[in-house]
Amino acid sequence: MNAIETVNLRIWYGNNEVIKGINLAIPEKVCFAIMGPSGCGKSTLLRAFNRLLELNEIARVEGDVKLFGRSVYEMDAVEVRRQIGMVFQIPNPFPHLSIYDNVALGVKYNKLVESKKKLDEIVEWALKKAALWDDVKDRLKDKASELSGGQMQRLCIARALAMRPKVLLMDEPTANLDPISTRKIEELIYELKEELTIVIVTHSPAQAARVSDYVAFLYMGKLVEVGKTEDVFENPKEKLTEEYLTGRMG
Amino acid sequence: MLVRKIKEKLFLVAISVATFLTILPLFHILFSVIANGLPVLIRGGMEFVIGTLAPPDSGLGGIGPAIVGSFVLTFLASLMGLPIAVLTGVYAAEYPNSLIGRAVKTLLLIMMEFPTILVGLFVMNILVLPMGRYSAIAGAFALAIVMMPYVAVYTEQALREIPFVYREGAFALGLKRAVVVFRIMMGMARKGMITGILIGIAKVAGETAPLLFTAGGSARIYFAGLDQPIGAIPLLIYTLVQQPYENYHQIAWGASLVLMLIFLAIFLPLRLSIKEVKL
Amino acid sequence: MTADKFKLSLLPIASTVFGIFILMLIVFFSASLPIFQKEGLAIYTTNVWNAVEEGEEFYGILSAIYGSVYTSVIAILIALPLSISFAVFVIDYAPKKLKEPLIVATDIMAGLPTILYGIWGAFVLVPILRDYVMKPLYEHLSFIPLFSYPPITGYSYLSAGVLLAIMVTPFASAIIREAYRMIPNAYREGAYALGLTRYEATKILLGYIKPAILAGILLAFGRAIGETVAVSLVVGNTFNIHLSLFAPGYTISSLIANQFGNAFIYEYMPSALFASGLALFLIGLVVNVAGLLVLRRWRYAR
Repeated sequence: MNAIETVNLRIWYGNNEVIKGINLAIPEKVCFAIMGPSGCGKSTLLRAFNRLLELNEIARVEGDVKLFGRSVYEMDAVEVRRQIGMVFQIPNPFPHLSIYDNVALGVKYNKLVESKKKLDEIVEWALKKAALWDDVKDRLKDKASELSGGQMQRLCIARALAMRPKVLLMDEPTANLDPISTRKIEELIYELKEELTIVIVTHSPAQAARVSDYVAFLYMGKLVEVGKTEDVFENPKEKLTEEYLTGRMG
Repeated sequence: MLVRKIKEKLFLVAISVATFLTILPLFHILFSVIANGLPVLIRGGMEFVIGTLAPPDSGLGGIGPAIVGSFVLTFLASLMGLPIAVLTGVYAAEYPNSLIGRAVKTLLLIMMEFPTILVGLFVMNILVLPMGRYSAIAGAFALAIVMMPYVAVYTEQALREIPFVYREGAFALGLKRAVVVFRIMMGMARKGMITGILIGIAKVAGETAPLLFTAGGSARIYFAGLDQPIGAIPLLIYTLVQQPYENYHQIAWGASLVLMLIFLAIFLPLRLSIKEVKL
Repeated sequence: MTADKFKLSLLPIASTVFGIFILMLIVFFSASLPIFQKEGLAIYTTNVWNAVEEGEEFYGILSAIYGSVYTSVIAILIALPLSISFAVFVIDYAPKKLKEPLIVATDIMAGLPTILYGIWGAFVLVPILRDYVMKPLYEHLSFIPLFSYPPITGYSYLSAGVLLAIMVTPFASAIIREAYRMIPNAYREGAYALGLTRYEATKILLGYIKPAILAGILLAFGRAIGETVAVSLVVGNTFNIHLSLFAPGYTISSLIANQFGNAFIYEYMPSALFASGLALFLIGLVVNVAGLLVLRRWRYAR
């Protein structure tokens, strides 16, 4: 079964059609990259998966998105977001909350555990999984604003992982990080994709080549090519894809 | 999950009610002033707006002196306060990093929130006591002090919002600073500055406390001179409400309607033509 | 240099604001001096008003200080939930067509001549509060100290507090609304992506703007405590220090407004009233500066 499937997905911002009929199938437990030049709708597409698009008043969606075979529109939006985790381009841990509270936030409100002890366990587990535990284990009560950019992003990953999602969406997660932090997170993705499905949007084909198993090339709202990463990169079927990969297109 | 949904709905209900409660008084006040004041205006007719105050318990007469007084006071206050306020705003905009520039900005913000009764007391002490009587000058001066921070802050903001390229262009033409500021930039900041001036005027036209011990009030005489007591609509309303006579209460409502109309006539078009207001 | 000439020529004018402010301070201090020399700090700590033409004048404005604080506290206790709710409603929940009218409405309320609040308060609000709130509460619950004063006229701390709340809520909500609107989208998205409901996400985001809420409340308190005309028409103007909401009282500003008319007959009353003004000056200054500082420091920290 596919983790995520889109059926004739079309998305408008006001009168502007940004996603023009996309049929995508994302298998389970892989790292699936969506790449393309800026402004082609990658981030918008991602936000349709967890219905975060609904926060935007002028966004309109047609078609369907299925999560493990079930349409996300048949579920409660809160429920959808509980099963799908998301990490953003700008690391956004809540600065006025502590490191502990940030990780625990989603778990607490969604009542995913019964006791404080269990909560402590999950926080520790998530921080370990996000390779942040050693950095912060002695200062869990410190405010999240005191971390570096790379640490903040790993905190956000921990926050998402704590909910034990089956799918993790990542919207250009390393775009604002230094190369060392970028590498740490890419290593993380490598580990995590054994256990859950990762969908990563990236504007760097090189990154897609490094971390992903499958890749989809999006251009101006249309799906140009999709397939196993090695195949697409070594033998692109479409001319557009080739132009993008060779850097002839920005 | 159900509990969370219930909390969600309760929350929506709670803040909707709170929003309604926040706005409700405005409409209630508008309604009350119209409902109580309109009959008075209709009964009083033109005389109400032009004539002088009736004796206790016998009819309406008019609030002419108060209306004239309000106009005179507002005009005088503008004469006194606007030039200084605008120039202060210019200084703050031109030299935002200087010690005085920064201090002035902070001081202006503080003075916007200053209890206006204290302004009245201050002016009373330095003008009314030495002169030995209430006067239009004193009232206007008090209003000018109240008006200045608003006009200055709006002027400063309007000037600061002009894109830097225009300043550069003007200086590149070899113009002197005074010319750049007064001829070019103030011209471009026109809208913001006029907004500030009108806001200041709208505010002081409705002020009562600064006038309590400065203008003195005048029920029968329209204008006796700059150094004589003078009336004002808010002042008149304040005095009449505290009187025990029913006809005076009615006059108060009528005067309130007049004041409200004047205020809305200035404020509404102003507010609808700009994006936000600092009050 | 031309620039310096420009600056120098404007400087005296810009300094006028300072001049006036400092002059005000001087006037208030010096005009209060007589009563300080006569009574020391008793002017602030006792509740007495002995206005006699011959013999011992003695003044203590404790009642007014108590009333100012009491009514302003009532005002912000009511204004706090209302202004936060209004801000959240306008930004997150209101249908598009309602947003602008709601904001315009509160702007009008913030600028409306206070005498209009006063006349409405005296002739409309007070009777309503008296008949539908105070009398029933007094009849059934007068054993509670807060409700233990018989509401005869309705002029009371409660009426003043409610009227002040109505007047300052639009002001406080403008500050909170602006801060709430400017929360970076990244935090909004982050909260919802975690599967939080609207209510839960709002709670987190409000936590983020706590300093702005504090500043809004401080500035609202400063505004409430300085309000004169509207309050003096509904507070009852009586030298009380009573716990009950329904008791009439004085505030510093209404004391000044009320008593200054006949102050000059007496030797020390004007000075006493200036001392009251000085107290108001200082309280207002502290609260407003605190509010501005909180706001400024928070803005720079982001």
